Amino acid sequence: MRRGVRESDFTAAAHHARVSARLGLWLGVAFGLCFVTGLLSHAAQHPPGWLSWPSRPVSLYRITQGLHVISGIAAIPLLLAKLWSVYPKLFTRPLVRSLPHALERASVLVLSGAALFEVTTGLFNVAQNYPWTFFFPAAHHAVAWLAVGAILLHVAVQLPVIRAALTRRGPTADPAEPARRSFLRTTWLAVGVAVVATAGAGVPLLRRVSVLAWSSGTGPQGLPVNRTAQAAGVVAEAQDVAWRLEVVTPHGVSRLSLAELAALPRTEVDLPIACVEGWSASARWTGVRIADLLRAVGAEPGRPVWVESLERGGAYRASLLPGTHTADPLTLLALGLNGQPLDLDHGFPCRIIAPSQPGVTQTKWVARLEVR
Amino acid sequence: MIARVLLAVLGLAALAWGAWCVLELAGGSVSTVVELVAWLVGGPVLHDVVLAPVAGGLGWLLAHRLGPVWATPVRAGATATGVLVLLAVPLLWRLHSGPVNPGLHDRDHPLGVALALAVVWLLVLLAGLVRTARHRRRHRPGGLSPRSPC
Repeated sequence: MRRGVRESDFTAAAHHARVSARLGLWLGVAFGLCFVTGLLSHAAQHPPGWLSWPSRPVSLYRITQGLHVISGIAAIPLLLAKLWSVYPKLFTRPLVRSLPHALERASVLVLSGAALFEVTTGLFNVAQNYPWTFFFPAAHHAVAWLAVGAILLHVAVQLPVIRAALTRRGPTADPAEPARRSFLRTTWLAVGVAVVATAGAGVPLLRRVSVLAWSSGTGPQGLPVNRTAQAAGVVAEAQDVAWRLEVVTPHGVSRLSLAELAALPRTEVDLPIACVEGWSASARWTGVRIADLLRAVGAEPGRPVWVESLERGGAYRASLLPGTHTADPLTLLALGLNGQPLDLDHGFPCRIIAPSQPGVTQTKWVARLEVR
Repeated sequence: MIARVLLAVLGLAALAWGAWCVLELAGGSVSTVVELVAWLVGGPVLHDVVLAPVAGGLGWLLAHRLGPVWATPVRAGATATGVLVLLAVPLLWRLHSGPVNPGLHDRDHPLGVALALAVVWLLVLLAGLVRTARHRRRHRPGGLSPRSPC
């Protein structure tokens, strides 16, 4: 008679509690880093009243979001190794011993479901590939809380086991220890391969090595484009000679032509553009300081500015430039990029470029600025 | 004990907040709830029923068919291959993707995957050959130490 697979059938070193605990520790670090940087990105895009996202250091968002994506990628091999390490637990019989045992098993199902959901949807999002209909940012954010909650609960339940597994030192060398180390070493190697294969999206040194990076670092004027003028439906309007920048202040409305904008004092800054999808690149921008522009129309820098694009639809057609950023002398209404007039796909006639801001808020093809 | 209670309370609070956010996201749409639950449950099912048995079986086969010299590098190579292939899925299977933009998703990803796998298996071959040579030297009749000048 067939007796089916049992937990005791799995005898490999990978399934030892010392391996599970060590992998859990590293996975906890990766997920923790991913969760915190994810919340920071959420705060940068939807600033809550009590927090103002800083404009310095200029690479802050580039670093936090780069870390978010890299730690998420590193979590993939760690998660798979961890799941394999505890795989025999799936065959524990009886399936449920008591109510606490049932709740614990349910929380582990939530943990593995939420963790796999986060890494899978994140990976598809960086590829801008959406085999689902729900709104990715909201789902990724909601399920992150489920994952973190389930992890905390899991650690609370398993803490004695984890402590024992991480601290126990036998008086004699355990003959199975080299095999456990070998499994862990293979896991670190897989983490290294995953990170090196993708990190070039944000790390210039790895650009040519990272064959699976979703950004090639090229593009018009040496910078990748996330949304073309064609896709945004602004090709004709952006090149219309009748284009005027409308600046709305509490005192009135000013309309400036491209020539009038170009006649204002010019500033040149080196600033990175860092996308929420983890790719980033540095560039040299020329344009008018937002602070100077606000003063020129009689408004005070340091007030938030609502920026609207020529684009009529789309989730990211407008953005709020926080007061911290409008006061920062590095925040420009950019007219040029890397020594040339702004390419149409980079936001001609003008775009926002601000230090330490998510790429989706660096609004292109600006039509209207409203001082709030 | 206090640490465990604190962790459990924080965990339950985060779970409750997450569940609230999921419900808010669904906004009363049954089809969205079904889709979200399918994605949440689909991961563990796909992993436990397909991915883990296949990977585990392959690992077992490698360990039992290959000698101790080749098993370790081949297993490492197979693991790296699996990870690279998984990471490449959203880049290669682009049925639901947006347009390719200048500088984004415009790499030759099939070529990239092929190159990465070629490098991985070249390293496996090198590691296996080095280990074979070491193994032979250690087990040579006469028992000369590898550091012997002759």
